[in-house]
Amino acid sequence: MKNSAGKQIIVYTTLVLLLVFALFPLYWMIVTSFKSNGEIYSMTPSFWPESFSGTAYDKLIHEKDFLINIKNSLIVSLVVSLFSIIVSMLAAYAISKLHFRGKGLISKSILYAYLMPRAVLFIPLYMVVTLLGASNSIYGLMLIYPTITIPYATWMLISYFKSIPTEIEEAAMIDGCSRVSTMLKIIFPLSAPGIAATFIFSFTLCWSEYLYALVVITKGTDKTITLGLSDMIVGDVFAWGPLMGGSIIASVPVIIMYLFTSKYMVSGMTVGGVK
Amino acid sequence: MRHSSGSKLAYVLMSPVLIYLLAVMALPFGWAVYLSLTNKTVGVPEVFVGMQNYIDLAKDSLFWRAVWNTFVFTMIAVILKAVFGMIMALVLNEKIVARNLFRVLLFLPWTIPTIVSVFTWQWIYSDVGGVLNFLLMKSGLISQPVGWLAAPDLAMLSVIMVNVWRGIPFMGIAILAGLQTVSTEIYEAAMLDGAGAIKRFFYMTLPSIKEVTILASVITTIWTLNDFEIIWLLTRGGPNNGTQVLSTLSYTVGFLNMNLGKAIAISIITLPPLIMLINYVTKRSLSSDN
Repeated sequence: MKNSAGKQIIVYTTLVLLLVFALFPLYWMIVTSFKSNGEIYSMTPSFWPESFSGTAYDKLIHEKDFLINIKNSLIVSLVVSLFSIIVSMLAAYAISKLHFRGKGLISKSILYAYLMPRAVLFIPLYMVVTLLGASNSIYGLMLIYPTITIPYATWMLISYFKSIPTEIEEAAMIDGCSRVSTMLKIIFPLSAPGIAATFIFSFTLCWSEYLYALVVITKGTDKTITLGLSDMIVGDVFAWGPLMGGSIIASVPVIIMYLFTSKYMVSGMTVGGVK
Repeated sequence: MRHSSGSKLAYVLMSPVLIYLLAVMALPFGWAVYLSLTNKTVGVPEVFVGMQNYIDLAKDSLFWRAVWNTFVFTMIAVILKAVFGMIMALVLNEKIVARNLFRVLLFLPWTIPTIVSVFTWQWIYSDVGGVLNFLLMKSGLISQPVGWLAAPDLAMLSVIMVNVWRGIPFMGIAILAGLQTVSTEIYEAAMLDGAGAIKRFFYMTLPSIKEVTILASVITTIWTLNDFEIIWLLTRGGPNNGTQVLSTLSYTVGFLNMNLGKAIAISIITLPPLIMLINYVTKRSLSSDN
C-alpha cells in the first residue's frame, strides 16, 4: 500500500487530461457562441467572453429557415422513432419469447441490418426515394430513416425482453391470459424503462443524421437541422458565432436525453454482446 | 400445440419489421448490386456493362489512393481509440470521487451530433483565430500558425483526431463494463502475493478484458471504415485527395460526377472485409445470448 499516494496522483492526473481533451471542444463551442464578432476574430483568443453577446443567437433566429429546419428534424425524428419503436416491440417480443422456424436467421439479419454502414446504403436508398417520388421532402427521410432505427430498436428490445423471467409469463398464462395479452399487459409494462430509452436513442439517431438527408433533400424548407448547419458555411466563409450557437442548439436536446438515460446506453451500443 | 400457434403469432408480430426491411433495405440493395454492373447516371436509363465499373476502378490510381487512405485512417483511428478507451476505462474503474459524474462527462463527445463535433474542431483548427495554433505558439511548440487541414498528411492526422475524440467514449465504456466483471478478490490475493501493478495489469486485467476489447474494436472498425461525415465536412477528401477515403469517393463519383453505377461499385468493393467483420460480431453476440 506504500505506493498508493503515487498511484492516486497518476489516476487523477490522467483523469484531468482526459477531461480536458473531452470537454475543451464543447467549452470552446459554448464560449464562442456568446462572443461578439470582433472578439471571435481577434488574434488572441479569449477564454471567457469579455461581455456576453447574444448576436449569434439573434442571427440564428432570423436566419432564413433555421427554425423550420429544427421543426423538420423534430417531426421526422418523432414520427420515425414512434413508428420504429412500435413495430420493433412486436418483432422483438416474437424473437425473444416465441419459438418458430428461422429464428436464428432472422435475428442474425436484424443484427446485420444494424451494423451495415450508411455509407454502403446511401445510394440504393436515394434511388428508392427518387423512384417513389419522395425525394426533396421530409417524407423521403421518414421512409428511409427506419432502416437505421428499426434494426437498432429491435436488437435493443430483444435483450430487454429476454431479461424478463419466463416464469412471470407462464404464471399469467396459467391464469388464463393469452399470449398477446401477456405481451401487452406484462412484458411491455415491465420493460417500460428499456422501451423509453430505446425510443430516445432512436430519436437522437434521426436527429443527428446527415448523409441520408444530404442526398435526399436539397430544398431549403425541407432541410433538417444538420443540413441547416452545414448550409451556414458559404464557400470558405465561416460565421463561427452563429455556427457554434446552432451547434449548441442541435446538441442540447440529445445531451439532455442522454443524461436521462445514460445507464441504458452502454448495453445498446455494444450490441448486447459485451457483458 | 403451443409451438405451432406461437409460430404463427411470431410471424404475424414480425411481419411489419420484416416486410419493411425487405422492401426498403434488401431489395434496393439487390437492385444496387445490379446497377453496379451498369453505366447508370442520374436521370438516364442504365445500360448493362458487366464488370466494366470494377475494371475501371482497378485501373484508377485515385481509387487505390482512397483504399490506402481508408486503411490508414481506420487503422490509426481504431488503435488510438482502443488505447485511450482503455486508459479511460482503467481510470474510471479506480475508486475516485464523483465517478459517475466523470463517466457522464467523458461520454459527452459521443452523444453530440457528428456534424457538431466537426464544426467545433474545424473552428479549433482554423488558421484564422483558431485556438489550437494559439495554444501551441504560446507554449513555444510551433513558431508560426499551422494549416491543420491544408497539407495532405497533416489533414489526415486532423480528421483522425476528430474521429478519435468522438470514438474514445464508446471504447472506454465498453471496456469499463468488462472491467467491472473482474472480481476484486483475485486482485487482493495477487497483491498479497506481491505482484506489482504492471504485472497485475498484464497477467490479470488484460486477459480478463481481452474479449470485450476485441469485440468493441471490431464494432468500432466497422463504423470507422465507413466514416463519411467527419472527412467530408472537414476536407471534402482533400487537399489533393490526401484524405479521400472510399466513402467520400463514392459520394463524389455518385453525386458530383453523377455516375451512380460506378459509385455503387465503390461501396460494393468495401463489402467483403465489412461482411467478415460483421460476421465476427454477429457470431459473438448471438452466441453470448444462449
